[in-house]
Amino acid sequence: MRGNTRLRALMLALAALAATLVLAACGGGDDVGGASGNAAETAEPGPVEGEFNFSNWVGYIDKGDGGTVAEFEAKHPGVTMNYNEDVNDNADFFGKMSPLLDGGESGGRSMFVVTDWMAKQMNDLGYLQAIDYADVPNVDANLKQNLRSPEFDPDRSFSIPWQSGMTGLLVNEKLAPDVRSVNDLFDPQYKGKVTVLTEMRDTVPLMLKADGIDPADATKQDWLDEIDKLDQAVQSGQLRRFTGNDYIQDMTNENTVAVIGWSGDIELIDNEDVTWRMPTDGCILWSDNMVIPVGAPNTAAALAWADFVYDPKVQADISDYVRYVSPVQGIEAVNPQLAQDELVNPPEEFTANCSTQPDPPGSAEDVQEVTEAFQAVITQ
Amino acid sequence: MTSTRRRLIPYGLLGPGAIWLALFFIVPMYFMGELALRTGTFTTGFQSGFEISNFSDALSGNTEQFVRSFIYAGSATLIALAIAYPLAYAIALRAGRWKLLLLFAVVAPFFTTYLIRTIAWKTILADESPFVSLLQTLHLVPEDGRVLATGGAVVAGLTYNFLPFMILPIYASLERIDTSLIEAGKDLYASSTQTFLRVTLPITMPGIVAGVLLTFIPAVGDYINAEILGGTGTSMIGNVIQSLYLEQRNYPEAAALSFTMMAAILVVVIVYLRMAGTGAFMGDEDERD
Repeated sequence: MRGNTRLRALMLALAALAATLVLAACGGGDDVGGASGNAAETAEPGPVEGEFNFSNWVGYIDKGDGGTVAEFEAKHPGVTMNYNEDVNDNADFFGKMSPLLDGGESGGRSMFVVTDWMAKQMNDLGYLQAIDYADVPNVDANLKQNLRSPEFDPDRSFSIPWQSGMTGLLVNEKLAPDVRSVNDLFDPQYKGKVTVLTEMRDTVPLMLKADGIDPADATKQDWLDEIDKLDQAVQSGQLRRFTGNDYIQDMTNENTVAVIGWSGDIELIDNEDVTWRMPTDGCILWSDNMVIPVGAPNTAAALAWADFVYDPKVQADISDYVRYVSPVQGIEAVNPQLAQDELVNPPEEFTANCSTQPDPPGSAEDVQEVTEAFQAVITQ
Repeated sequence: MTSTRRRLIPYGLLGPGAIWLALFFIVPMYFMGELALRTGTFTTGFQSGFEISNFSDALSGNTEQFVRSFIYAGSATLIALAIAYPLAYAIALRAGRWKLLLLFAVVAPFFTTYLIRTIAWKTILADESPFVSLLQTLHLVPEDGRVLATGGAVVAGLTYNFLPFMILPIYASLERIDTSLIEAGKDLYASSTQTFLRVTLPITMPGIVAGVLLTFIPAVGDYINAEILGGTGTSMIGNVIQSLYLEQRNYPEAAALSFTMMAAILVVVIVYLRMAGTGAFMGDEDERD
């Protein structure tokens, strides 16, 4: 009897504890998600010193001895740079960061790199700080003309391109010599040997282009029709997987013979039969951008870093290592070989057919509807 | 004084566990439940509400993945049991001085991270790999068929990754077995099979039940194996939840689906324990037969 009372008392105490915790946690704010309406602050310059945390995608810099990070630290002896490769997927990274950014925190990151559409989305939510070009003179001087006023950030007020790239075809020339258009991926002879990207804004626009629809003019129905076509390709077993850049392993091992892939990744595929091909229907152009989040510590170091990598001498090394399209002009003078490489320095006629990476058309609800339809096909 | 103290000891012992449970189970559960009932979209914010339809929406499009999760996890559990029992038996009763080394070999893969071990299977099961060629020669896989990026690869990955959770509890119960009972069975003219079925197997039932639970429950909710070793049409419920949460940012539906899955697992486990008997799990002699 007595034990029972005690048990009840214990239970009550636990319930009270739980309730206190719940109330304490709820006090922070009742809404999950939604625009927080932070007024855009401008990143503070200052003395370049202290700890600097930078988050980037995998394989986007030479991290080794004498690499770019080491050079930066040598230039600014007071700085300890932590270069983290913890961005793998825009939506994924957003999912991880948004609860923090919502509360004005950046998780210790001074700067990170996301693709155009994600940079816009974060800025719309008030997650990013503005950048004053007086603080980054090299960027002001050396950013390529064609990247200076993209639709999503006409004044480049919150984003500085890290690298640009082209989404097109990675083809094994021995096993699938005839794949030249994105539509060739749907040829039954390659059944189970082709993959497309989980990045909807690459896969669907490329399919639109292959079907003769300019992504800039495409309607929501056009997007849904292409997603339906993907669905049929899943049902028939034509598509092997949906991938991020884990297609690298499948192409190296010849599990796949032709895939939708990103231009610079050709450098990471250890199989000499594989090349990156510009689809006959054209490619998708995009940039990954350095952005400074709200709550970022040490914005001075972040600004100094952006300025540093826009020095053509530094950029030439990065470019040579990653083989994506460099956003910095003048690197050809430093390393003339780069001028010849059409993946690093694509001539205008090479990309004439390409489109900048689009969002699905329409309102936020329309975008959500298209996203859900695409995700439903991926997660079958 | 001492008697009060003695009466308080059990609560003191319960304390850390209870606080842990409250902090990391009850509180998160409350938040998840509350989230599962919210309305709205990510851009407008999710407002508190009582949106029961989140549950039906979460289920309606995903029944196939739901069923698949249970089939994959169930198959992996059965295969793991078939592999684990003889292995645990051999280690516990036949290995002699090799016992420790063999046990170490069972646990050794854990020194590498889960992710790396799973990715390694991509190389083992690659289309042109010797292993797959062998399967093709034996006509276990069609000539133009593959293993990687199929449901079979996902089940294989699940089996491999959770196998030690099956082996260790079974080993523990076999280790403790009083071998004179087996000898007694033989003395009473039972065949080896009969002795095994009527003596060894019942005694080790708690280990089997624990192993099955430790394998099945995490396997149902796993998404890494389907993500890395699977292809199109092999998504499990974990992949759907991941997509709902991170890609579609539909937090309420993701929470609702998580809840539904938890309930479904609970039902399956209860039915299983009813059949196996909770006594078997607790090692309670009276309830076993």
